[in-house]
Amino acid sequence: MKVLTGAYRKIKDLHPHEAIAPGTGLCAGCGGLEGLRMALKELGDDYIICNAAGCFTLLSVYPFTPLKGSWLYTTMGGPTPAAQGVRDALDIRMRHRGLEEKENLNVIVVAGDGSSNDIGFGATSAAIHRGLDFIYFCYDNEAYGNTGFQLSAASPYASATQTTPSTDVHEAGTEINKKDLFEIWKAQKPVYLATVSPREPIDLSNKFAKASHLKGPRMFICMSPCPTGWGFEPKEAQLIAKLAVDTGIFPVKEYYEGEVVHTVRPRKRLPVEKFLERQKRFRHLFKPHRQDVVIKHIQQRVDEYWGQYE
Amino acid sequence: MKTPKKIMLTGNKAAAWGARMARVEYVPAFPITPQTEIVETLAKWFADGTMQGKFTNMDSEHSMFMAAGSAGATGVRVFTASSSQGILHGLESLYTVTGWRVPMVIVNVSRALATPITLEPDHNDVMSTRDCGLIQLHAETCQEVFDFILMGYKIAEDPEVCLPLLVNLDGFYLSFTREPVLIPGEDEVRNFLPLYTATQPVFQASQPMARASAVFGGVTYTSFKLQQELASRNAEKIFAKTAHDFKDRFGRYYGPVETFHLDDAEYVFVMSNSFATKGKSAVIKLRQQGIKAGLLKLRLFRPFPSEAIASVLAGHAKVAVIDQNLAPGMGGITYPEIVTALYDKKNRPEKILSVIGGLGGKDMDDQDFRTIIETLDKSNMGKPLFLYDEEDAKNFDRLLKIAKLKEVSS
Amino acid sequence: MWRIRLHGRGGQGIKTASQILGSAGFYSGFQAQDFPLYGAERRGAPVMAFTRISEKVILERGPIISPDIILIGDETLLNDSQSAPLCGADPTTLIFVNSPHPPEKLAQKFSLVTADLTDLCHKHLNKRTIYSSALSAVGARLLGTIELADLLQAVEDELTQQGIVTQALQGNLELVREIYTKIEPAILTPKVEKTLITKPMVLPDYRPVVDGAPIILEPGNMALRKTGNWRVERPEIDYTHCNDCLICYARCPDGVIAVNPEGRPAIDYDHCKGCLICAQECPGHFINTVRETGLFP
Repeated sequence: MKVLTGAYRKIKDLHPHEAIAPGTGLCAGCGGLEGLRMALKELGDDYIICNAAGCFTLLSVYPFTPLKGSWLYTTMGGPTPAAQGVRDALDIRMRHRGLEEKENLNVIVVAGDGSSNDIGFGATSAAIHRGLDFIYFCYDNEAYGNTGFQLSAASPYASATQTTPSTDVHEAGTEINKKDLFEIWKAQKPVYLATVSPREPIDLSNKFAKASHLKGPRMFICMSPCPTGWGFEPKEAQLIAKLAVDTGIFPVKEYYEGEVVHTVRPRKRLPVEKFLERQKRFRHLFKPHRQDVVIKHIQQRVDEYWGQYE
Repeated sequence: MKTPKKIMLTGNKAAAWGARMARVEYVPAFPITPQTEIVETLAKWFADGTMQGKFTNMDSEHSMFMAAGSAGATGVRVFTASSSQGILHGLESLYTVTGWRVPMVIVNVSRALATPITLEPDHNDVMSTRDCGLIQLHAETCQEVFDFILMGYKIAEDPEVCLPLLVNLDGFYLSFTREPVLIPGEDEVRNFLPLYTATQPVFQASQPMARASAVFGGVTYTSFKLQQELASRNAEKIFAKTAHDFKDRFGRYYGPVETFHLDDAEYVFVMSNSFATKGKSAVIKLRQQGIKAGLLKLRLFRPFPSEAIASVLAGHAKVAVIDQNLAPGMGGITYPEIVTALYDKKNRPEKILSVIGGLGGKDMDDQDFRTIIETLDKSNMGKPLFLYDEEDAKNFDRLLKIAKLKEVSS
Repeated sequence: MWRIRLHGRGGQGIKTASQILGSAGFYSGFQAQDFPLYGAERRGAPVMAFTRISEKVILERGPIISPDIILIGDETLLNDSQSAPLCGADPTTLIFVNSPHPPEKLAQKFSLVTADLTDLCHKHLNKRTIYSSALSAVGARLLGTIELADLLQAVEDELTQQGIVTQALQGNLELVREIYTKIEPAILTPKVEKTLITKPMVLPDYRPVVDGAPIILEPGNMALRKTGNWRVERPEIDYTHCNDCLICYARCPDGVIAVNPEGRPAIDYDHCKGCLICAQECPGHFINTVRETGLFP
């Protein structure tokens, strides 16, 4: 069952505008780029992206920019305060210096899961606390992708990263659970909060369309399949994204006016293995021998999550 | 303030007055002792409408400098202040925003760095920003603090410069010390420093642009870094121009360095910031004892006015560079800079002594200066000279005993 | 000293190839050095790696400008101006291209060797585009001074470090053995050292901030960079069957499938990186994939 939050119902309804020009150095098949591409379609060209150091640093490499709007490369921990500075300065100029409303910008932060969950986490929490009027787009590829795939707080249990490899002593690889950024942000009651998947472009577009009409902190976590880090063929990026939703591993939801709604619900959840078995980062769960306990644990956590809502 | 008025102000209040008279529009802030009084004062002035614009309570110095930089890139006049650990926490942002080439004024209230943690001043904090591309002016008096902020905006905003500028003042010795400060009338200030208009493209809908994009390849990186170097070098010229303009309007003249009883001096103390006052006092007392002492005060610290310093020091026999900072394993941080400036001067001093004192707010007295003279007279003066005497060592031993009381009794 | 430069695409094992070659040289008793060049680009984008092998101490570091051997793992790079794999080549440079067909024009200018590594890799590894072992084997064999046993040891050591499973390792070793027998050692001519001359240094003029800081005032100019050269395979829409559902348009991460005025999808081959998501996602399987071949410009 699909619950639509906005006006789009089919692919052909999607905004034809491409806000990101091609030619970027991002990996072929990047799931995060697909998410951002869809998001920007809804936000018009009058925006500034304050970017955290991460994979998307490669979006603009001097002397090139793929964006129709503006871009400010910041630091890994500093995109949200940079957004604060731009927002404040525009407000000051509109209020006191006669800057026309048409010169206003949509202030957007783009940051990876490492910046969002770790080094920039406090600064973002502070911005939500201040009620900063901005859109936050976290492309979550569940590790420090740009540096070669090391553990971030968003790396899921039992995934192998370069800094949490699977060994005889630590068979599962990552032995701690992914930080629940959605719940943490939700506790601060931002005006809007949603998870989106590039495989659900209609849901994604409706969410950004809705958020674009709101004021205040609007937070997005975009599941971003990463062929390079997760270890799958680029052409399977969308398939992996689909399996993440269909197995229930990645819940597609929104938080608005105090309520959490699952906007895309898997009809009958597939076993988590369907998602895991296609990726190199989970290969140790199946070869050289099957780690049933670990797989069962992952399944259990997914079942427990959905159990709350069934 | 319509007409000029002399009022008793702390260094911190003088800084706040500087920002107010400069009609700063944006202050992102984060508290840290001994700077907090500056942002508290500004917060009040924004809140009661004395100042127009916005004061934003930030969550760290890293965030604060980031917001300051991005607001500068969006076309408003920005002020912020920090100190010590805060400067270190924000250092990544400082390097970042100097590369953005946006003007702003930052006040650093010098305070020694951990470990051990302390509140009193020395200059390791501001020295940590030495190489990040900020323009730096170091203040001795509360009047200098105020004046340097007005001059600072003029220099930082000049299209030939476009760099953040830092005004340094010492914690406690200046930050909490009141003395009379002349605040000029509003109109006078307005004529000197008009309301801010950016001279570079700023973020707004009609001006889409990408800033600070990544570069790959050393040539592109070097090209931008050279521009930063040229901008900083330009600041020496613009400082001089601004200083003359300032003198014409307000009557006070500031050279890149200040000399004190230097003309016939046989011994010269090189100092900066508030302890220069102590140095001046010692110079007078030493001269009363027949010792021809003089003082050179560093004022414009970045860009480093090598020529101004060298031309003033050349011809004097003995020079002591007093660093209130310590690079362990190396010594004083400004010492090699002064020596380098003098290297190719024909009549360079015979002796240049490195002196390290005033760490963590440790006071300097007249005897310290007398000892420096004596050391300069020795044939083998050793280096550096640490201003740490027998009494200091004894006092420290007493503390050690208390810290290890059990050990001693057993 | 022999300087070997390797060209390929991110994800093809070019860095590993340079390392296997380095280790093999080292095991054979030579001084060795290897080094990858990480650029801005990612998987699929042109990459380079370097190996130096010498009897004497190596007093060089960094990229190789004048290579003795150029190993080109992906022939589509030949007409890629950004990658420019022939840059710095002179008549003494030996060029190897992974290709089933020797490019004739290239052979007229350089001493050229070709072999279809893609098929060999497919045969032994069941993967078409992992050249780590294959390319290093070619390099080692062309040098002629590296023993097979040392090469095999290097393959095993480097791939084991990367966590390769036993079965795949055996495939790699067989692949290397086959290449070792197929390729003949080359006759290499050492380069003559050039006389050192000075060059004019400049201190640039100060420029206004708009030029003096990294500021880009041309929105969307990224399109000037053609990422079409990343493709190993090319998606082709079968318009006779395509029903214009536009799933391909919606799923393309780089946004290089446009919808033309008639409502039909059209692929921008200048920029398509060849991720092949469109082919994978097309509900009716109306997008075919075709292997790209490079032509000497």
